[in-house]
Amino acid sequence: MKALISDIKRFAVHDGDGIRTTVFFKGCPLKCVWCHNPESIDFKPQVAYYENKCIDCGECVSVCPSGAHKFTQEGHIFERDLCVACGKCEKACLGEALKFYGKEMTVDELLPLLLEDKDFYKTSGGGVTLSGGECLMQADFCAELLQMLKKEGINTAVDTCGYVPKESIDKVLPYTDTFLYDIKAIDENVHIKCTGKSNRLILENIKYIDSLDKSIEVRIPYVPNYNDNQIKQIADFLKGLKNSIKVRVLPYHNYAGSKYEALDMENSLPVRLPDGEEIKNAEKLFTLI
Amino acid sequence: MINSADRYFIERKYHDPEKEFDAFSRMAYHGTGYIKESGLCDKELLKGLEQLSRENEGLPHPIARAKAIKYVLENQRLYINEHDYFVGLYSLNRLANESTFKKWEKESHTLRNPETMECSNDFNNSGAVTIRTDYDHVVPDWKSLMELGFVGIRERAREYRKMHSENKTMTKETEAFFDGIEIQYTAIIDLIDRMYRTACELTFEKAPQIAECLKNLRDGHPTCFYEALQFIYIFFIISESIDSYQVRSLGNGLDNTLYGFYKNDLESGKCTKEDIRNYLSYFFMQWSAIGNYWGQPFYMGGTDLNSNTKYNELSYEILDVYDELEIYNPKIQLKINKNTPDKILNKAFDMVRRKNASIVFCCEPAMIKAIMGYGATYEEAINYDIRGCYETGVRANEVCSSSGYVNVAKAVEFVFTNGYDYGIKKQVGVKTGEILEIKTFEDFYFAFLKQWEYLIEQSMKITNDAERFLAFVNPSSMYSATIETSLKNGKDGYAGGVKFNNNAMLNCGFASAVDSLMAVKEFVFDKKEITLSELAKVLEVNWKGYEKLQIKIKKSPLKYGNNDAVADTYASAMSSYFANKVNNVPNGRGGVYKAIFHSARAFINQGEKTGALPDGRLKGEELSKNASPVVSMDKKGVTALVESATKLIPSDYHESFCVDVMLHPSAVEGEDGLNVLKGVLMTYLNKGGQSIQFNIFNTDTLRDAQKNPEKYQNLQVRVCGWNTLWNNMSKKEQDAYILRAENVE
Repeated sequence: MKALISDIKRFAVHDGDGIRTTVFFKGCPLKCVWCHNPESIDFKPQVAYYENKCIDCGECVSVCPSGAHKFTQEGHIFERDLCVACGKCEKACLGEALKFYGKEMTVDELLPLLLEDKDFYKTSGGGVTLSGGECLMQADFCAELLQMLKKEGINTAVDTCGYVPKESIDKVLPYTDTFLYDIKAIDENVHIKCTGKSNRLILENIKYIDSLDKSIEVRIPYVPNYNDNQIKQIADFLKGLKNSIKVRVLPYHNYAGSKYEALDMENSLPVRLPDGEEIKNAEKLFTLI
Repeated sequence: MINSADRYFIERKYHDPEKEFDAFSRMAYHGTGYIKESGLCDKELLKGLEQLSRENEGLPHPIARAKAIKYVLENQRLYINEHDYFVGLYSLNRLANESTFKKWEKESHTLRNPETMECSNDFNNSGAVTIRTDYDHVVPDWKSLMELGFVGIRERAREYRKMHSENKTMTKETEAFFDGIEIQYTAIIDLIDRMYRTACELTFEKAPQIAECLKNLRDGHPTCFYEALQFIYIFFIISESIDSYQVRSLGNGLDNTLYGFYKNDLESGKCTKEDIRNYLSYFFMQWSAIGNYWGQPFYMGGTDLNSNTKYNELSYEILDVYDELEIYNPKIQLKINKNTPDKILNKAFDMVRRKNASIVFCCEPAMIKAIMGYGATYEEAINYDIRGCYETGVRANEVCSSSGYVNVAKAVEFVFTNGYDYGIKKQVGVKTGEILEIKTFEDFYFAFLKQWEYLIEQSMKITNDAERFLAFVNPSSMYSATIETSLKNGKDGYAGGVKFNNNAMLNCGFASAVDSLMAVKEFVFDKKEITLSELAKVLEVNWKGYEKLQIKIKKSPLKYGNNDAVADTYASAMSSYFANKVNNVPNGRGGVYKAIFHSARAFINQGEKTGALPDGRLKGEELSKNASPVVSMDKKGVTALVESATKLIPSDYHESFCVDVMLHPSAVEGEDGLNVLKGVLMTYLNKGGQSIQFNIFNTDTLRDAQKNPEKYQNLQVRVCGWNTLWNNMSKKEQDAYILRAENVE
């Protein structure tokens, strides 16, 4: 079995407790306007071209099997339509201007990479986090990988948007220590506006996980003018759950701008950033849950 | 805590911070606020010393030296000031050296082997090895000092003298050794008496307390916390600035040396906690004001023989006061073990992430193992001192001098030039054959090892020759009197008087050499993208016209510091090669050599003299420092770096081993951030690491600081075992930090 992986991040310190390694799976059922991992939305491999890093070395031209890279008087041209997403140009590129997202990997290939920092997980209370994209869109693979990790005694976390069939959750449940669960809105229309999809399944799934007394950390992106009016409702919703739940409010940031450009994707990022006061006020709503 | 008027005064006590000041120079210090009539000026002192030197011609050096010190102390201008709890002296520039040390050093040069002297010059000039005789890099036995005071130390020496007389072990040298101690300690006691009498006549608020303190220190050992601090300070300032012995730690663990006084004063009601903090603040400000480049070290914590932590309440107070003062000198070493209290770790890491405070984390298990590696018992090893940056040593029984910063990158360069140095236009390395003759990577690697071996072995010859004259040039009465073994042996600590008479040889530019060898392996022999002689030409032209190849080489993952199996295998082999060549080789003083993974400033100075290297490095650029990777070549982050570094078996480095880590501020925010830092430290400890130090920055801050220095007056960075202000670094040095920060963005 193979999975499509967009990236692996070692020394990840914001994806659960302690020092972790995070695996970013490629492909997501939602399309959030503020997405900061746009390279993980599409279910197919993609090449990103960071124009400002290109040093015109021309190495990509010589390795590209489909003629997608060209050098003209205007410099380096990348014709995405011709790209077959083989990933060869990433390896050749001297300026690190080309990034390949979407490597196919087996559990056997992934596992040693995820165990490299095992000793750091132990001393910091960390482990491995599966994220994305939406990792549970490749739930069978996740289950197999998580099972292997648990055999190695590794703490596991699954970072999910929750928009997956209940069966997918069932598959990983036995091998998952913590769910990092995104909740973006309670009002269905707001959710559709922000992500393109309804949130009913998402709210059903979190109730289900909670009913099984699994550890959950809820993560709420705070995006002014999009879901900032939802925070109170989210707090109320979480109060209705069986267990008390750790909540993290994630202030929206726009660092991902260059990624949209590099992927030739339409940049949907909101303009306004939250200020510290807004985040503090939002966090206050969750202190009692 | 110290008030601002007093702080202002102390900040100007040793030199004027508004004026140009050479922090490297030992001849840059003068007390201010002194009483003019109380002594002579420098010129008069030098004249008197010259006269004295003529009178003392022919006397054994310990006696002549002690008499010179006595003369300076007798005629020293004093001050005792309303703004300071600590006494002051006027002439702090090792004036006695002019008519003793310097004269004798010249004399020793005429007695030394001219061949090794020439080799030493060539090594220094070419940057192959930085080598000079290290006369003073020790820690006195603070425990004896605190228990006995100056009077008791003198008394103990008298008893040992008697013993030698009775046992008929008194030679002329032994007699001179004890005479030196007698003269010098009597001079110190007389100085304190003179200070006491001066203080008695003063009327300001602190004067009676200062007077009482001086009286007690004149007559015996310190009796309270404040007296203990004054005592440490007086010993330090006389040893470092009147005599010429650096005191490379304040206290045998400052917290432990002071704890008894602290507890007594609190229990008896003599002091409140606020008083203690107040004294500590004045105490630390002395070294902040002295402001010498390398910083004044002290260490804390540790583990006792019953496996209990030696951290105490005072350890925390010391960190807290230091934090509040916003200073970077003195510098702090923390002994770390699994029993280190969380409160200490959290406080220290918070200081490091908040303002890059001058703290290095020293892991006990590997250090103890390293010390036992040269024959110390477990009991000796567990009570070790940390000296200087993060060097170790057996407490009160080891004199270890540095004897050569061996630039291993130069050994790579010499393979290409057959040992010829183009910088000084002279054969400096050994002849390993023309580069055209080298046909395989193995041949290249062995030629490299030969070059390296030659630098190491020659450095030992140079050191052994020079160190015949250590005590001849700089007899250490003041230091040796504190060391009981030295008294028992009736010998100066620098003449073989202690149990461990060792030398440390430093491994410098290591990662630059590893990456260079890997580049030769990959691009010349494996991928055959360039021939060895072509590469030699590329290095000669400093990569000009070969920029693409340079980037390709830099981009290759075959680099030390990334947990790469191939690169790390060679790195481990090279590291062991050095350690095996150095460790436990007998030196000229009845001790052994110790390997040390430390660069001090050699990564800059030797870098300036090292040509372009196969790893893509340009001529003159910084070399790698300590056991750390080449700047921004640790692309896989801190966890991989720790894996690579600990594969080198840190405890093989009997003197010290250090790794530098750069982290982004966002990785260490909040309580989670402290856990991350502790996780890195404890994993490093578990894997056998010795010392680890951090820089925590983002590039925006550093770039802004480069543009607007006035906004960042207090911004400090960790250099290599000490901190410096950002604004005191050259643009080139600053750029290297920005590169490191970019690597963790």
